[in-house]
Order: sequence, then structure tokens, then C-alpha cells
Amino acid sequence: MMPAGTDQLGSLMTKLFENSTEAIFFFDKEGQALAMNPAAEDIVDSDILRQLYQGNSHALCGTCRGYTSETELRTCLNCYFSSSDMEDIPSFQVYLETKDKGIIPYAASLHLIDQENSIRVFMLRDLTRQFKTQEKLYQNKMMKHVMEAQENERKRISRELHDSVAQELMSAVVDLRVLKYMTADDQLLKKMKQTEALMTRLLQDIRNLSVELRPAALDDLGLEAAFRSHFKRVEQNYGLVIEYESCLSEKRYSNEIETVIYRVCQEALLNALKYAQVDTVKVTLLEEKDMLQLTVEDEGIGFDPEDEPEGTGLGLYGMQERAELVGGSFSLISNVGKGTKVLLRVPVGEHKEEA
Amino acid sequence: MKNKVDYQLELDQIRNVLGYDFMALALVESAEFDYVIKWKYASGNLNDRFKRIVLRSGRGIAGLVFKTGKPLLLSSVRNQVGLNHLFKYPIIKSEELASIGAVPLWNDARVAGVLLGGFRSGLQVNEERLEELKNYAQKGIGDLNGKELLLS
Repeated sequence: MMPAGTDQLGSLMTKLFENSTEAIFFFDKEGQALAMNPAAEDIVDSDILRQLYQGNSHALCGTCRGYTSETELRTCLNCYFSSSDMEDIPSFQVYLETKDKGIIPYAASLHLIDQENSIRVFMLRDLTRQFKTQEKLYQNKMMKHVMEAQENERKRISRELHDSVAQELMSAVVDLRVLKYMTADDQLLKKMKQTEALMTRLLQDIRNLSVELRPAALDDLGLEAAFRSHFKRVEQNYGLVIEYESCLSEKRYSNEIETVIYRVCQEALLNALKYAQVDTVKVTLLEEKDMLQLTVEDEGIGFDPEDEPEGTGLGLYGMQERAELVGGSFSLISNVGKGTKVLLRVPVGEHKEEA
Repeated sequence: MKNKVDYQLELDQIRNVLGYDFMALALVESAEFDYVIKWKYASGNLNDRFKRIVLRSGRGIAGLVFKTGKPLLLSSVRNQVGLNHLFKYPIIKSEELASIGAVPLWNDARVAGVLLGGFRSGLQVNEERLEELKNYAQKGIGDLNGKELLLS
């Protein structure tokens, strides 16, 4: 690269100063502002702007809301502007009260550019956008961990109930049945029968609890089996009939994807049950061009998605979140009087598996 | 069961006397069906949806009454349950009941069934009506003797 001439460099520097979106301030050793570029003048309130030019050494404090130290998000302790320690640090984070956008985080740097006259340059770069991106990323990551932890914990308790509590109870029921052949006492037999009935129901309750937490079928046998038993349970518990169509048979997907599909379907069914006022719901599951597609459809009363939610609205949000976690898309179509349709599409291509 | 008792007839008769819009009787199934609790008989029903429902101890009307052995009174379903929780009581929903009362049906000191009476509109189940219902249950229905204590 050819070194630019002094003239050219000068004009480039002026352009940088005039047009940069970064705010640039020049300060002399007393802390009086020598110059500020348009971007800088743009963020500072006009009153403070005047004070800055007048050389009030604390003028910057009028707009500064502290910098981020190791211990605090915003602090004035050991102020970067008055102490000289900060000059060795390439950049730090500072919060400014801006003219029309409120308190905004900036990446700031403060350097001595003229040793003789102690002239320092203070440069600011808006971090709002980065912060939002980072926050979103963090949130997604957290959500993923929370959901994973939740599923794992459910799985653990569910297994425990199914494998140990239910098993032990089962042995007790069997023992009780054997007891019946050891006596001819009618009263005793009657009592035993009652106890047997009670314990059998208890056993079912525990099994139901286990399945409701997380169906073992989902891990052991896959979506198809888990769906079928879930639908049977919904029918038994609530009298809601589910017409189920699928072309998957016994195909398996990654644990994460199967969980998402199962939970979204569960939530959608619960919504239909709560709000749609229907007797039947249609569920279809199919794979097409590396996309696994789930639809849950009812011909109920429907609703206007723009309206305030009747419940908490968290259910829909949760479905959306779950879909996003596996790179899928979630959509809901509903019209008053025309029923509701929930559509979930999740990519299941080979390349996706490794990611 | 040796002598088949006509629960249906008895239930229809009780409804006639007490004037409920809807009455139902939940009983325990036999051993082949794992002793689950189901609404077995109904009088004044709109449809048969409730027959699909397998009740679970501690859930729904029959489940609660069955587990606790205590009567349940919802004079105003709308005020006491709320629309968002209605799905937990499928029989209220499918039979469009506005007010219900349910009492346990005892047999040899065990809850053996649940008797439910409800109105769709107009009348409400109150403490008095619940007491009436309890009296009927205590007299026994079918071959269930209604005895809460073995020695009574």
C-alpha cells in the first residue's frame, strides 16, 4: 500500500472526524473540550455541550453515568477521566445519558495523542446493538439449558417412579392376590379385595404420573408410540378424541427433535382442549424433503391471534421457543369461528444431526 | 354380581324426586378393568362423551369425592372454577352444567361410588340440596349399602 501524502491524510482525517458514527472528543489537560465531531455533539445535551466548550472540567459528568469496573456495572469510583491509570487500557465500557435515546452503553477509549500539550482524545462507539445480540444469544442458550435440565429431571423422576416405586407396589399387589387363596374367611376376603382395588388404582396413578412427566416410550420407542399412548390418555382423561395420521412408523430422530415435537403437540392439544370447545382434534405427522412436519388442527371456535390471550399466552411463546431451539418454524393460523391450526416444521436432514 | 340391580332405574327415580337436570353415578369397575372409576350411569344426559372418560383418584369431580370421601359443592361453576380450569372437569363441560353437587357413595366403610346432581340453568345446588343428595346416598343405591361405618 502506498503511504498517503500528508495532505491526503489530512483530508482523510477530517472526513473521518466529520462523518464517523463514532463520537470523538478532544480534551486539553484541564479537561476543556477542544473539539467534538458531529456524532459527539449529537449525543450530548446542548446545555452540557456548552459547558464542555467552556472548559468546565466536570462537564462530562453531566452526561456520563459511570463506567464498568470489575465490581460494578456503573461506577464513578476511580474515574477514568481524572485518573491516569485508564490511559493504558485500550478500551473500557461507559454509559452515557444521551440527548434522545436515554442511557446507552459505549465502548470508550481515552488516549494521550499529544504528549507536549497533554491533549487527549476520547472516542465512543455505540454498543446497544451488540448488547442486544449478545443478550439474545445468552437467552437462547439459557433457555436451551433450562429446557434440557427440565426434561432430564423429569426423565429421572419418571424412571424412578416407573422402575422402582411402581415395581415394588406391583409385587405387593401380587402378594395380596396370593393371600386370597390362603383363607376362606369371607369378611377377610372382602377386605382384601377392597385393598387390592385400592392398590391397583394407586399403581395406575403412579404409572400415569410417570408417563405424564415424561413418557418412557418417547425415549425407548420413539414419537409414534409416545403419541399413540398420549392420545389414548387424553381421550380417557378428558373425552377428547384425536384423529391421528402419520407416515413415520418407527422412524427415530434425535432426542432433542422428538422432545420438541412431542411437547409442542402436547401443548397444542391442551390449548384445543381448554379453549376450542371441540370433541375431536386432528393431528398429522409427516416427513417431507428433510422436514418433519406436525399439524394440530381443530374445527373449534377459533380466536383472533391479535387479541389479548385468554390464558397467560406463555404456552404459545413456549412452543415458539421450542421450535426455534431446533431450528424449526412454528406458526399458528386461527380465525374466529373457523378453528385453529398449529403448524410446526423442523429440519431433520443429515447435516442437521451433526450441528 | 348375582342379582343384577337396575342402577339406571334407581337413578332416574332419584332424579325425578330431586328435580335435577342431570344426574350421574360413578362406580368402580371390576377386576378385569383394573378397578378404574367411571361414570357408569347417567340420567338426563346430553351425550355419551362422559362414558369415554376414565376418572382418576384426586382428579375431576368424582376423583376428588372418591379420594376424600367428602361431598363437593360447586353452586356456581362459572364463579368457582373459572373458564380456564373447566377442562379439568370434563363432565361439567360436556353436559354444560352450571351448578353441581356430588356426594360419596359408601359401601362397608369404603367409598364405592360418587353420586352427582347438577343443573344447567336456573336452579342452583345449595347446602340443603346437597344434604338431600347425601341422604339418598346414605340409604344405599343398588347393592351398595351406603354405610360409612362398618358397625352402624
